Amino acid sequence: MMDGMEDVLPSETNGTKSGRSDTVDLNDSTLQVDISDALSEREKVKFTVHTKTTLPDYAKPEFSVVRQHEEFIWLHDRFDENEDYAGYIIPPPPPRPDFDASREKLQKLGEGEGSMTKEEFSKMKQELEAEYLATFKKTVAMHEVFLTRLAQHTVFRNDHNFKVFLEYEQDLSVRTKNKKEKVEGLFKSFNKSTDEILLAATQKDVDDYFEREKTFLLEYHMAIKDATTKADKMTQAHKSVADSYIQLSSGLSQLGTIEGPRLEKFINKVADTFEKARKVEGRVSSDEDLKLSDTLRYYVRDGSAAKDLLYRRLRCLANYEQANKNLDRARAKNKDVHAPVDVADAELAQQNACEKFEHISNKAKEELNDLKARRVTAFKKNLIELAELELKHAKAQAQLLKSCLQSLPEE
Amino acid sequence: MRLYLIVSASPSLCPGDNPQATHLPRAWAPLARPPPHGSRLTADLFSTNPGALKSPVSEQTTTPEDQRSPEDPLTPPPPAASLTPEPHNPGTPPDLFESVAEGPVVVQGGSPKLSSVPLDLPAGGNGGEGKQQEQEEPQGPVEAALSIEGEGEGDVTSSDLIPDPSSNPVPPPALLHDPPNFLGDTDTTEVSLDDGKTKAEGDGGDEFIQITVSDPQKIGDGMSSYMAYKVTTKTNVSYFRKKHWSVMRRFSDFLGLHRKLVEKHLHSGRVIPPAPEKSAIGTTKIKLGSDKNADSGSLDFIERRRAALERYMNRTSTHPTLRADPDFREFVELDAELPRATQTSALSSAGVLRLLNRVGETVNKMTFKMDESDQWFEERTQQIESLDAQLRKLHASMERLVNYRRELALSTAAFAKATAVLSSVEEHSSLSRALHQLSESTERTQTIHHAQADADFYVLSENTKDYIQLISAVKDVFHERVKTFQTWQHAQITLAKKREAKAKAELAGRMDKVQQAQEEVTEWEGKVERSQEEFERISRAIKKEMEQFDVMRVKDFRDMVIKYLEDLMTSQQQIIKVWETFIPEAKAIS
Repeated sequence: MMDGMEDVLPSETNGTKSGRSDTVDLNDSTLQVDISDALSEREKVKFTVHTKTTLPDYAKPEFSVVRQHEEFIWLHDRFDENEDYAGYIIPPPPPRPDFDASREKLQKLGEGEGSMTKEEFSKMKQELEAEYLATFKKTVAMHEVFLTRLAQHTVFRNDHNFKVFLEYEQDLSVRTKNKKEKVEGLFKSFNKSTDEILLAATQKDVDDYFEREKTFLLEYHMAIKDATTKADKMTQAHKSVADSYIQLSSGLSQLGTIEGPRLEKFINKVADTFEKARKVEGRVSSDEDLKLSDTLRYYVRDGSAAKDLLYRRLRCLANYEQANKNLDRARAKNKDVHAPVDVADAELAQQNACEKFEHISNKAKEELNDLKARRVTAFKKNLIELAELELKHAKAQAQLLKSCLQSLPEE
Repeated sequence: MRLYLIVSASPSLCPGDNPQATHLPRAWAPLARPPPHGSRLTADLFSTNPGALKSPVSEQTTTPEDQRSPEDPLTPPPPAASLTPEPHNPGTPPDLFESVAEGPVVVQGGSPKLSSVPLDLPAGGNGGEGKQQEQEEPQGPVEAALSIEGEGEGDVTSSDLIPDPSSNPVPPPALLHDPPNFLGDTDTTEVSLDDGKTKAEGDGGDEFIQITVSDPQKIGDGMSSYMAYKVTTKTNVSYFRKKHWSVMRRFSDFLGLHRKLVEKHLHSGRVIPPAPEKSAIGTTKIKLGSDKNADSGSLDFIERRRAALERYMNRTSTHPTLRADPDFREFVELDAELPRATQTSALSSAGVLRLLNRVGETVNKMTFKMDESDQWFEERTQQIESLDAQLRKLHASMERLVNYRRELALSTAAFAKATAVLSSVEEHSSLSRALHQLSESTERTQTIHHAQADADFYVLSENTKDYIQLISAVKDVFHERVKTFQTWQHAQITLAKKREAKAKAELAGRMDKVQQAQEEVTEWEGKVERSQEEFERISRAIKKEMEQFDVMRVKDFRDMVIKYLEDLMTSQQQIIKVWETFIPEAKAIS
């Protein structure tokens, strides 16, 4: 369906796919996409996708549409299925907005309401709301990153489906797959993975480079997935520590009122300090989450996409070799001139396969290198930011504790 | 038992009497009546000055401490004043008390009656010694009183005087100064009577005692094995033989000590620091496990116990009265193994008895509602209750904090490992290096978190738990008071009945019965008076004790919180260092 794209392909090698820059200078046309607003309803989140463009293809220079998560997935699938994009790493789709954890916590809090004081309860509620908000912001950010990557990709941005996604004012009526389709989808992915395994076992890659890449990617993928899970656990634990400070702080203030004048001031100061410390700890936790876990997670997904790319290439290679075989067979069978058609067909098939393969290989090489570079940059940036933030928070806490200790009146 | 006969509480004797003046007569008066309650007697015993106690005591005293008496500056009248039998008074044979008293030595200090008894009684030898002793202790007014008594004793000389009840450490003069002093337990020589408050702390001046419990060792094997701990004491308190020494003790020894202290002192209204609890599971694990297999769980348990024992010893030693208690002294000093405190075992008959007693007491606590006339007690009781509840809540949230932080340490460690793996897989060399650094930094923060969790636990959580237990010891003391109130009420009721009976008998003209009824009435009148005095005494004692307790509690709490905050701050500073070293590495990624 994207025949037009083929023409576009060769010319646009200006691959400035820098992470988050808003504009890619390309033939004076810009395409800026962002999510300007988001609304969270009971089960769904509605994103307002806002586009600013100078591309002639679009009807208006600036417009917005409302999209839901499923429509993002639909878009991704369209890219994924498109054979023309076989040589590219398709940007990984954003994860489902998941508020379950927050909701569960909120519910637990509601149940335990009786056992805490009003202040404690309101504080914890505030914390939970903040958490909810943070999750919300994250999911918006992920959807946005997905779109931005597409918009900046020299090839993808011109995709017709993408245009439809951005422009079509009404609902794309992407119904979630019904049972049959879900089952189909399951089969497909099952097939795919068995194929992958089969290929991995049988198909020898002609190119060493790709062979190495494959091994590397596999290993890396596993390691990074593991690291992500652990990082998540760590930030969770950090958050729990911060939250438990709340109870400590309020317990202390209550103790203060009982103790009476002698200890009250002292205790109140301490309780206050704990409260402030908690906020800092909470921020440490969320920063860790943002910088560390998210980076890791993103590259898990990107790595996954890269793996997909390699798979496609391998598949293509298999097809190519198959086509070669067919051609040989056809040629062998058709020594006589009677069935040139078969040979011709086979030849054509072989040629196509060959082209495809070459094309994919080249593109893949580029993409993989690109991925590496992107990864390194992203990690660098985020690790630096992580370290600086951790440092800042630790300093803040140390300072807080120091001033508390100094201010405690000596008796 | 001779003692009993000699020293009887005579209701007629009033405290205000010039002790010396009426020694002789008073001394003899009591002889007439046998004390109604053995325990009462002991109380009386206490009123005698320590000096008096000396002679009989010395015979009976088993503790070496007596020999030390001359040097013992602590033998001050104040301690004497303190009704607790422990009086540092070497003269005071704690053992004497124990032999005499059935169980708890009722310290009666304040009651006027007591004053009557003592002074005269000291046996001649005693008297002499007593005098001598007093002379050695040049302490304030009480001292003077004592010496007066001493002299009084001298006069009395009563070689025949029974050795005496002088166990009563409280010299009559003390009675004058009543409350402040006696609980004064001040080992210090303070004799200031009124300002009991500060002095009572007894941590007088430069007295210093510090106990450490260390080196837990498993002795023996299998079910008969036990944990022994080294108890090291550093002190400059004079009545201890050395300045610095250690002994080995096993866990049941600690429990035995606690039990003895409770028996001796609870009735005087003292708050006895509670001992660490027994734990069947932990102990069995230790018994059955071998040294090599000591897993972190049982190591943790041992460490917890060791720390708890140390805190227990230090709290007990801070209390001046308890510190001077002969049992306590023996515990810290005696170089040999202490006799097995078999009764601490839960299954022994004594243990079962104790359990039953406790149950009975609990029921009593719940059912008897005392008519509280004293505002102070009313308030304090309420405060104690709410403090208890609040501390428990606080403790629960502290435990949660400890758990979360431990989890944090664990998950950080897991992350560090995963990052190390990632770094080894990563092809880009400087990124790989940076990741490796990240892994190491995280490893370091993990250690910090772990240490902080330990601090959370030992400094904050365990101390709070101790306080919860202390509060229940306080509640026990309050309950003792309620019990004496009950006794008093009961005595009053019985007195009324006896009076009625007498009146009836008189009406009926049954002279013989009247005589008997009269005797009973008098007897019960005595009881009423005594139980009232007992009640008042314990009320005063508790008030004093509570003041001291409060001061100590506040100080401890502050110290604990400050230490914790300092630990927290150190952790943060360490974290700062970790990240500071990481940043340049991250920046170096090319």
